[in-house]
Amino acid sequence: MNMKCEQFERILEQQEGGPLPKQAAAHLEECNTCRALSADLGAIRDAALELSAGEEAPPERIWVSLRNQLEAEGLIRNTQPVSRALEPARSSWWSVWQRPAVAGAFLALLLAASGAIGFLSNAPQISVQSQISPRQEVSPTLTADNVFKEEILTVGNDAVSGLQRQDTTVTQSIRRNLQLVDNLIAICEKSVREQPDNQMARDYLYGAYQQKAELLAAAMNRGMTGGLQ
Amino acid sequence: MSALPYLRAAGAGHTRNAIRLGTLGAAMAGLILAAVPAHADRAEKHFQVQPKPKVTVRNSNGRIQIKTWAKTEVQVNWVNASGNSVVDTEQAGNRIEVVTQPVGDQISASDKTDFEITVPAESELSVRTDSGSVTVDALRGDMTFDTVDANLQLTDVNGYMVVKTIDGSLVCNRCAGKLEASSISGNMQLMSPTLDSLRVQTSSGNILFDGSFSSRGIYIMKNFSGTIEVHFSANDSFDLNATSLKGDVINQASFKPDTHGSAHPASKWGHSLFGTMNDGHAKVELSSFSGTIKILTRD
Repeated sequence: MNMKCEQFERILEQQEGGPLPKQAAAHLEECNTCRALSADLGAIRDAALELSAGEEAPPERIWVSLRNQLEAEGLIRNTQPVSRALEPARSSWWSVWQRPAVAGAFLALLLAASGAIGFLSNAPQISVQSQISPRQEVSPTLTADNVFKEEILTVGNDAVSGLQRQDTTVTQSIRRNLQLVDNLIAICEKSVREQPDNQMARDYLYGAYQQKAELLAAAMNRGMTGGLQ
Repeated sequence: MSALPYLRAAGAGHTRNAIRLGTLGAAMAGLILAAVPAHADRAEKHFQVQPKPKVTVRNSNGRIQIKTWAKTEVQVNWVNASGNSVVDTEQAGNRIEVVTQPVGDQISASDKTDFEITVPAESELSVRTDSGSVTVDALRGDMTFDTVDANLQLTDVNGYMVVKTIDGSLVCNRCAGKLEASSISGNMQLMSPTLDSLRVQTSSGNILFDGSFSSRGIYIMKNFSGTIEVHFSANDSFDLNATSLKGDVINQASFKPDTHGSAHPASKWGHSLFGTMNDGHAKVELSSFSGTIKILTRD
């Protein structure tokens, strides 16, 4: 019997980068969508591992919330209680994500992946749905953006307020630029909503998210290490 | 003539004035001494190196000035006026590290260390600083810069340069080689560059390119708002792709239709210009979200 995409995703998540069972490997050969998903997760995992060099972890609640959000979106599934999933002893690649720079890289990649998926597969249907239904059906890009807003903006606030420095010039500069990037994101979002098939607007939105992630990583890095490393 | 006969000759009134002036002078001297921190740190160090050393500088605030000379030696001078930081230096073979460390747990805005560093002309340089300024003159080698709001000025440098800043500006005078620069709100100015490869990006800053495009170069300039202004020689040979999604593209040069690669259908979003100058050897991409793009010949 041919494997379904849902089954494959479940197996992919459980394997965490390990070799796939024969049936799943066969499905991967046949299914473009799952192949793209697998490639994206691989890229995220590689980026996370590259960026794992000793940085401070943000508060645990952020990761709990982020995981819940990802589960709610169906991007990952909760195969065990969150408290167990966050046990330090567990050496899964999820634990590697619990670092600010990794979070930025992960979310940037997630947004890219979601954006690409949303653009290639769902954008036309979503446009139609938004016309016929007053209830807002959001695209994967915008849903992922919600994750970004709810979680990473919180990280951002924590990061800036937690800066261990009295150098107001630097903290003000970072705050000012965070505000600037937030504005850019808002403008780009508006453009993408108005013109969903405008690839350039999407590219700028993606670029603004990347900047936000990099800026937060820089803020946390400098704040947590006293500005020097 | 001794002071005593003078005081006698001047009389009692003058004596009182002299005492007052003396007291005032002593008080002012005391104030000046109090203004100079007790622990101000000023030092000079020398390191013998091989040609092409790697020099790393980490600072939080202050002026960093990098110069070159013909000697195979690195000279580091610094002044820390507040005395709230210490400067650690380390040599490991051909690698020199200069790192400012705060004395306490926190960094304050008044804590500032100025460096003047002289290195062999062919050196690899890495600078990370938050505030202040960085100037580099006549260096030939790979360079990386990472700043928050420190401004960067590169003059007569040649190499692979990577600049990452949040709020700082970049001024590049007669830069050669390859440059990648990104900023959020800083301006980028490239004056008389002879770069083979350029990739600059700023969000709210302006970009000014005033120079020539080398025939095998790739030049990418991108911002969100602000102006991108390109001045080039009429003899330059390049393909141009300029697009502003919400802003204008102002062209004052004569391009012919792009004869290379695929056709460029008119974009249904924003303003675009595609064209070829002379034989179209180099590739120039200008992109803005809401800023204005200006394209002009220098002649």
